[in-house]
Amino acid sequence: MRKRSGGAWRLISLGTALVLAATHAPAAESKVKTFMAGLNIDHFSRTIVWDGDTASSRLRASLVSARADFGFGKGLTLSLSAGLSLTDFEGLAFGTLPITIEYNASPMKGLVLGAELETLLFKSGNFEIKAAGRFVSSFGMSKTWPLEGFAVQGEAKGRSNWMEASAGPRLAYVLSGAFVPYLEVNARWLRTDFRMEETLEDLHGLETKRINGDLSFSVALGGDARVSDRLTIKAKAGFVPYAGGADILASVGLMYMF
Amino acid sequence: MKVPAKRSVQAIPALLVLLVFGQGTTDAGWIMQTKRGDRLSQRPARTLRVERPALRRGPRYAADRVLVRFKPAVADAYAEGLLRSYGFSSVRKIPRIGVYSVRTSPGASVAETLAMLRRNADIQQARPDYRTRLADTPNDTFFVRYQYNLRNRGGVLDIGPGIQPQTTAGADIKATTAWDSAKGDPEVIIAILDSGVDMTHPDLTAKVVSPGRDFANDDDDATDDHWHGTHVAGVAAADTNNAEGIAGVARNCKILPVKVAGADGTGFYSWIIEGIIWAADQGADVINLSMGGDFDDPFLEDACKYAFDRGVVVVASAGNDFGGPVLYPAAYDSYVLAVAATDYNDEPADFSSSGPQVDVAAPAVYILGPAPQWYVGEAYLPYVFASGTSQAAPHVSGMAALIKSLKPELKPVDIMKIIRYTADDVNASVDRGRDDHIGYGRINMERALAPYILK
Repeated sequence: MRKRSGGAWRLISLGTALVLAATHAPAAESKVKTFMAGLNIDHFSRTIVWDGDTASSRLRASLVSARADFGFGKGLTLSLSAGLSLTDFEGLAFGTLPITIEYNASPMKGLVLGAELETLLFKSGNFEIKAAGRFVSSFGMSKTWPLEGFAVQGEAKGRSNWMEASAGPRLAYVLSGAFVPYLEVNARWLRTDFRMEETLEDLHGLETKRINGDLSFSVALGGDARVSDRLTIKAKAGFVPYAGGADILASVGLMYMF
Repeated sequence: MKVPAKRSVQAIPALLVLLVFGQGTTDAGWIMQTKRGDRLSQRPARTLRVERPALRRGPRYAADRVLVRFKPAVADAYAEGLLRSYGFSSVRKIPRIGVYSVRTSPGASVAETLAMLRRNADIQQARPDYRTRLADTPNDTFFVRYQYNLRNRGGVLDIGPGIQPQTTAGADIKATTAWDSAKGDPEVIIAILDSGVDMTHPDLTAKVVSPGRDFANDDDDATDDHWHGTHVAGVAAADTNNAEGIAGVARNCKILPVKVAGADGTGFYSWIIEGIIWAADQGADVINLSMGGDFDDPFLEDACKYAFDRGVVVVASAGNDFGGPVLYPAAYDSYVLAVAATDYNDEPADFSSSGPQVDVAAPAVYILGPAPQWYVGEAYLPYVFASGTSQAAPHVSGMAALIKSLKPELKPVDIMKIIRYTADDVNASVDRGRDDHIGYGRINMERALAPYILK
């Protein structure tokens, strides 16, 4: 059975972010044409079946992050972001713990790091076709709950991590310099784990729920609206269809150009 | 005449082993009631057929739907328009009572949707759409009226003239709610080491996996020539939902009969030792010993350890000597769960032995269970009421079998801890925490088997 620790994933994520940043560090001095910074709010939901489970449950994540966009010209943009995440795992059951635990608590907090790369592939008239790839990773903070009603003292301790990588084409129409709407189709790969530890006096249990790669596709409409010489609003909304329903994704950001 | 096996264990002094049992009498058309000390009562039984369906708890709700009621002054058109303005994909009115069934927006949880709706001053109530289930409380004839031990709804336990105790609602092991999570795996086997089992009994015949082994008579036929083992087996795992008799705790688990007591209800340590080892080797998951002796014996302890080391949960009754010490093998704390007795009011039973080895308690006063037809007589229904820690132990054995069914990877030590730590401390007002009378408390199957909702 494949087993990777949360620490390993953190290193991979941090490494990726650092490599990307390092790669473009010289560019930041010599080749960066534009630089924007601002705040981004993201929300997405994913209906998932955890490894070993038969029933689906839903993961909902809300992110608030600071974001920096580095434009290198010729349509190449690198974005780096860092912030906080709230992830809800409503209905997730840990059935192999000595006492089964069903998660119905408030969302789990986490630190989130992200990177996004966008490049221009093709341009014809007002139409542009770009390729965009995004990587976001949330490193959950551990949380402890008392287990009440038992004959002895008990507690449950949980921590969750997730990472999502997405990539796909983006068809943009340069309506004017002030507004650029686009249609985006993405393949989305999600990996997540939730480690729950249960202790009732000297009775201990540990269960880690995992998804080692859930692939789905999303369709989203978005637009970048330049509201002044320096302020730009970036917004996007879409859905992630699955058999029997659809999950949603939404994003809005306010960027300031330096 | 059968000859007892001649094994090395017979070198042990032939210590008398006492079944924790009582006597019964027979009378045409009556259920027999058996209690320690030969106190008896009867009531006409063939007229007691009770089949009352009951709805069980349904804790979940639809993940994408809520129910909404507006204040009376709000017009229908406005209400529907308002709901649609929230972006709900489907709004359907349930006529007559002014309730709307609303499909939540994609991605929005029920909790979020309810919170949003409840902020609207025009809305009187917004509630989850709770899930229901078919009522599948067992249809066994005597379940509703007599098996307070599994589900106690309060009221009078009408056993017969002079025996009509008032019971307390909730003084039970929460079997019905626990069965929502586990009814038992037929592959999980409870070995009943006792006076044998009546394998032709209608509530047991489908549950017995083999003729078993008779260590009292050294043969392969563990048929009950007493009544005690049949009763104990029924409490643990009687055929359930068969529209007959009683419900067993481990509804779908199987029974392995092992006869380690003679027709007079007594036996020897050697028989128990061999019985434990044989049952463990046969693949039993739980061993029930509603019996015990007064003497500590290393060979008996070794047998318990043998079973424990092979993944078997060993459960034994503490004994019926109030104020007296816990019997062996129940007193082997590391390997055996010692079970004391409570009654229909969750009071410690006035006959239950006590000591530091007591782990938990279970209902054990006026427990209805099967008995051989030959024992009660042809004119009687083959069931008797019995009291004693003998009746307490099989409740715990049944519970252990359900835990094993639900979580087969758990080791005996973990199952024993789950049973202990999920108990209700029903005598907390006088003896808070673990005590020598009922240990951690009266077992609570729901707490052990149903999910703990983390909020």
